[in-house]
Amino acid sequence: MTDGPVALVEDLDYYTQMWNTIADYAVIKLDGEGLIRSWHTGAEHLTGYTAAEIIGQPAAVFYPAADAAAGLAGADLRAAAEAGTYATEGWRLRKDGTLYWASVALTAVSGRAGSAGGFGMIIHDLTVVREKALTLRGLGQLVNSIADIQVIRVDCDGLVRSWNPGAQKLTGYLAEEVIGHHVSMFYTEDDARSGVLDREMHAAVRDGSMEAEGWRIRKDGTRFWANVVLSPIRDDHGEVEGYVKVARDLTERREQDRLVQRQRDEILDLSTPVIQVWDKVLVLPLIGTLDSGRAARLTESLLERIAADQAEVVILDISGVPGIDSAVAQHLLETVEAARLMGTDSILSGVRPDTAQSMVHLGIELGGLRSRTSLRDALQLALRLVDERASSGDEAGVRA
Amino acid sequence: MPDQSAIMRMGRDLLVILHGDLDDRTVESIEREVTSEVARTSARGALIDVSGVDVIDSFVAQVLARLVRMVRLLGAEAAIVGIRPAVAITLVELGASMPEVTTALSAEQGMARLRRMRADDSARIDHGNHR
Amino acid sequence: MATTAEMPPADLLAMTSVAIDGEADLLRVRSVMRSYALQAGLGLTATTKVVTAASELARNILRHASGGQGVATFEEASSGHNRGVRAVFTDIGPGIADVDAAMRSGFSTVGSLGLGLPGSCRLVDEFSIDSAPGRGTRVAICQWAL
Repeated sequence: MTDGPVALVEDLDYYTQMWNTIADYAVIKLDGEGLIRSWHTGAEHLTGYTAAEIIGQPAAVFYPAADAAAGLAGADLRAAAEAGTYATEGWRLRKDGTLYWASVALTAVSGRAGSAGGFGMIIHDLTVVREKALTLRGLGQLVNSIADIQVIRVDCDGLVRSWNPGAQKLTGYLAEEVIGHHVSMFYTEDDARSGVLDREMHAAVRDGSMEAEGWRIRKDGTRFWANVVLSPIRDDHGEVEGYVKVARDLTERREQDRLVQRQRDEILDLSTPVIQVWDKVLVLPLIGTLDSGRAARLTESLLERIAADQAEVVILDISGVPGIDSAVAQHLLETVEAARLMGTDSILSGVRPDTAQSMVHLGIELGGLRSRTSLRDALQLALRLVDERASSGDEAGVRA
Repeated sequence: MPDQSAIMRMGRDLLVILHGDLDDRTVESIEREVTSEVARTSARGALIDVSGVDVIDSFVAQVLARLVRMVRLLGAEAAIVGIRPAVAITLVELGASMPEVTTALSAEQGMARLRRMRADDSARIDHGNHR
Repeated sequence: MATTAEMPPADLLAMTSVAIDGEADLLRVRSVMRSYALQAGLGLTATTKVVTAASELARNILRHASGGQGVATFEEASSGHNRGVRAVFTDIGPGIADVDAAMRSGFSTVGSLGLGLPGSCRLVDEFSIDSAPGRGTRVAICQWAL
């Protein structure tokens, strides 16, 4: 016979078996007073209670203390009794006192002949899902509140999928102008052509994230120096479903760095003073390497000193310069020529044997520039030159 | 003479003062005026003072170098004086640094230089003014 | 020939064009460049260099372009805290067949010194040239305060 008490018992067994295999949910039978009458593995995993501990307890044990005291358990049951079903979300309590966010579905089960009715209660742990949702919402709000940094989402094809106030401030584009467009619109032509984007995306996937700096183009065509971090977004299976791109405008910092570097260079130059050793004779002791920037600054200050001191001879002492290569020689010769245009003679001093050798090997020609090994010899020559300029000032004197 | 220049006689020498922003026509007329004045006065020297000139480009440098050569052909000595530091640096980087031209810091030093060059004509020690 | 509009009074220069038709315009070019350099806070040496470069490039247009006609445009440049001046020299002359050769020192087409291009290049922070026979020449330069 299929109907009748025997069949019902068979069905119940079947359902009980099903319930016992459900692990993600707690499916619990409550009696008419709300006392727990069934238990299963899933429920134990979720709440921490064993069947022996929980059967006969009121469903209120699952509620946080404050909610239980407020009679929330009874209220929920009454709502289910009235409407037949009742669904709610809220915090529930485990045996160990920890809270989890649950989705609870209550179903009123009418009593059969001879047995009182009760409730079916299905509890689903939504903690992880809720956290994800909150995080997403929170992140969304966070991203939208960031006004100085670009945080955007780019899909696997490189199309822009989201925009934020920082991105607008940085590039000048409105959301509707960029969403759906390829991210290469912000890159320079050279970069876009050379496939920088693909390399960046590959690197981001391979290494977990990628950081780079480079020029980007604003809506008005001007450039800015950007620091960009690209991170892949993965779905639950670990597949890359897009990228988050965070970009900042570092142009100012880059300029500040250059300014700081320049100030450092100038301080370094202060340690290379032009010395007036004699009336109308200046000595410039060169120390350290001589790149074009430094050479230009030194030349400027030397020439200004020549004008200020009315110098007639300048001694460039290179004993502190580690190596004279063609580039350094070029800078020196240019300085000498500029001084010559101001009527000043120059003498190179501190030329060591190895310097002389390398200069000849490199084919460096000094032209008419006189050189001496020691500063003392250079000074002697300088004084002689000054003397000549002074002494033959009148018609009668003829210097041999 | 145009407003941007003036020629003065100082004994047997001429002092040509240039100032401001020189236009091409002025520069070329200076060439003519100075050479004719050197010839007319049998000057022994000419100083071209450019201390009041902010910019000397390759054309002006070329004309100045030409002027010096012309004056020498007329038997006089010539020097450019007063090239400003920024102008000196620029001329060198431009590659127009007039290597054959004698230079001096000021008109005063230039005068002394001219006298020295006349006095030391035969026994002049190389001052390194030639590249 | 008509030259240019009057320079705007003391307030900020934004963009200026100077037609290059005759020798008088060389003075104009130098004067405008000097004003922009001053506005951008360029030092004396940087100013002298960029004004000289402008003079060289404008002179090139007068000497080499057909009819000697062209245009120089100036504008203030800015990048972060740095300011500068950007100028573009354009002419519709015969164009340069071999830009590389022209950029090497001493190259000259017409009898002048031929120092215009490589010399100007050395004087400025940024330099670019775009030229081809029949297409004229466009030279862009930029000089920064820092």
